Amino acid sequence: MTILYDEAQQAIATESRRVIDAQYDLQKLLDLVDVTGQYDARLWQTAVEQGWTALSVPEQYGGLGLGLVEMGLIAQSLGAVTPGAPFLSGNDAFVQLLMAGGDEAARETWLPRIAAGEAIGVIALGEGASPLPPVPAVAFADGKLSGTKSALAGAINADAAVVWANSNGVPVLALVELDDTMRRPVDSFDNARLYASLTFDGAPATALLEGDAAREAARTALARLAVVTAHEQTGGAEQAMKIARDYALERKAFGQPIGAFQSIKHRIAEIYGLVELARANCIDAAASEGKADFVLKACAARLTASEAYDTAARDAVQIHGGIGVTWQLGLHLHMRRARSLSAELGSPLFWEDLLVSELETGAGA
Amino acid sequence: MIDLDTFRSDARAWLATMVPEFGREARRGLSDEQDLALGRRYMAAKYEAGFGGIHMAEEFGGRGLSGLHKIAFDQEEMELGFPTVYFGISLGMPIPIIMKFCKDKAWVRERVIAALKGEEIWCQLFSEPAGGSDLAGLRMKAEQDGNGWKLNGQKLWTSHAHIADYGIIVARSDPTVPKHKGLTYFWVDMHAQGVEAKPFELLDREVVCNEVFFDDVKLTDGQRIGPVGGGFGVAMATLMIERYVASDADGFGPTIPFFVDFAREVQVNGKPAIEDGRIRSAIARNFALRNGLKSIRDRAFLMMEAGTEPGPEGSLSKLVSVRSRQKLSELAIDLMGADGLAYERDAFSKEDWVASWLSVPTGRIAGGADEMLLNTIAERILGLPQDHRPDKGVAFNQIPA
Repeated sequence: MTILYDEAQQAIATESRRVIDAQYDLQKLLDLVDVTGQYDARLWQTAVEQGWTALSVPEQYGGLGLGLVEMGLIAQSLGAVTPGAPFLSGNDAFVQLLMAGGDEAARETWLPRIAAGEAIGVIALGEGASPLPPVPAVAFADGKLSGTKSALAGAINADAAVVWANSNGVPVLALVELDDTMRRPVDSFDNARLYASLTFDGAPATALLEGDAAREAARTALARLAVVTAHEQTGGAEQAMKIARDYALERKAFGQPIGAFQSIKHRIAEIYGLVELARANCIDAAASEGKADFVLKACAARLTASEAYDTAARDAVQIHGGIGVTWQLGLHLHMRRARSLSAELGSPLFWEDLLVSELETGAGA
Repeated sequence: MIDLDTFRSDARAWLATMVPEFGREARRGLSDEQDLALGRRYMAAKYEAGFGGIHMAEEFGGRGLSGLHKIAFDQEEMELGFPTVYFGISLGMPIPIIMKFCKDKAWVRERVIAALKGEEIWCQLFSEPAGGSDLAGLRMKAEQDGNGWKLNGQKLWTSHAHIADYGIIVARSDPTVPKHKGLTYFWVDMHAQGVEAKPFELLDREVVCNEVFFDDVKLTDGQRIGPVGGGFGVAMATLMIERYVASDADGFGPTIPFFVDFAREVQVNGKPAIEDGRIRSAIARNFALRNGLKSIRDRAFLMMEAGTEPGPEGSLSKLVSVRSRQKLSELAIDLMGADGLAYERDAFSKEDWVASWLSVPTGRIAGGADEMLLNTIAERILGLPQDHRPDKGVAFNQIPA
């Protein structure tokens, strides 16, 4: 896998961005902030029509069979507009775990529906603040799940989940069909992420993987989800940087554009550096899938992308001065999204630790 | 043309045979003179083996391969700590400039081969007490003198001037026009009457930089490079030369694996430092930055190989890597506590934290200070306005001092 995008991949990047920009609606996004359980149905419809839901589903299950690079490019285009539909990355991770497990019936049930946009899947690995507890508290026994998984993006509307659970001391990845009794919607500062925690009380589930195979698959799926999300964060960071740059060119104070002041221009130049490092790490990580250092590279992408987006959003607001903190301008959408994407998959503290553990075990050698 | 992978493995094999004679261990304890002499021997051996002018034209004694072959060789060579530092600027800027601009091809060929073999060294006389970042603010005077020219003034920060045989220089030939327009570019003989290079020590006692004084130094008009008054353009061309120099994501300091090994050995509050969350955070953050730089570098390499222009993000390398090296070096000294107070004078900055820390500020200033790099990113890449420049369009001799 090369770290240069080919022509088809470049076309995916430009075309997806064009389609997404064409239907950007700030007012709709602002409206979504206030309500729990609603999303941008038009954007989601577009995602289905454009084939993005089918993108990483293998062809024999009605998908396009494309890879992480393409998935990342779509996520990056979406990230720029703080999208109001959070399902693509969770779907992709769900597909990965169904493919990692050997349950053909489960694949045939879910994958064509995912590809067609008729079902939404999530992976439920985290508990509390940990995105992947070594010994999960959620139990799997006699084909049934019990316990609580932390809030997941898209879970309010998800139809199925692959759950990281504990079966008498052996880790298990189990597939469960979700219903309203299991979802606990979270009223969030970023409601368009559709967060819900999942609580199981003897929910029937099917084990897909067990033991070391489950552990490895969970780690890889989390890393992949982190890489897709890092692309989304990078897209958001780049957009926040451009908004700040444009404002610094247009806004005048003391007889000149504020972008002529080094306190402003250097701040934006520093954001440029963070964005390009994040992008470079995303490209590198996407090209490393399947290699021994994939998790290591995913950590690097995740860390730099979280930092880039938080910094870009925070500084973009600051560079705008008073207008930056108004509801109607909507810059807070980037501020909210930067924080929600950073917190939802395990904070940088988790990823820093994981990165060093990978270095210690020689994954990068 | 030999393909890159084959070339790289040939280079690696040859370099390995040179390690006993020229590697870090062989250099330990040498005086500056001895190290330079060793460097000259290495350059001669390198030329003999066909790794001298890798990407230079065959008509000038080069091998005529691509710039990527040159970078590939440099990447391999850089790991070994050979005494090549004396020749980097010489071959990086002045030599390509005379190849490009000077008309006497036989003379140029002689100079190029002598420089490649390490027999002659060129320096670049740009910065002055009054102009570093603001290059066009320089004051070195070039006056017409018969058919030729006469130089008077002072240069500063000139690397290797005291061991140089030739130099390229920018001087002010007309102070009555705005500053960028009154400059002319020449090559000079560093052994000529009236040239005096005075080396001085940097804060780590390293002797690289010089003050260079010019007292009625006579030049022929044949030593002029580019038109009279066109010196700033040639100077920009010099700085823009595709130097095909390998960047180093570690900022020419120790690597992250080197820090990880170190953090296993030292302790924080009775536990190995590697188990401390603060140390893990620093490792992870710095690894991620440098991994990003490596990815940018590798991507640029592939783009050049494919014949396309790499993106402007390559300009981040020095800015990001040197700051990373500075902070990590400080942290390493903190981790050693009182043991970190010891200083070994001969240590190399790639394998010693104190040496790395002492020499790192130079990296944040030389070749474009951080602040200038940020200005360049802001103005050239992001399209933000230039700073307020009161000297713009004003005749040089009318600029308030």
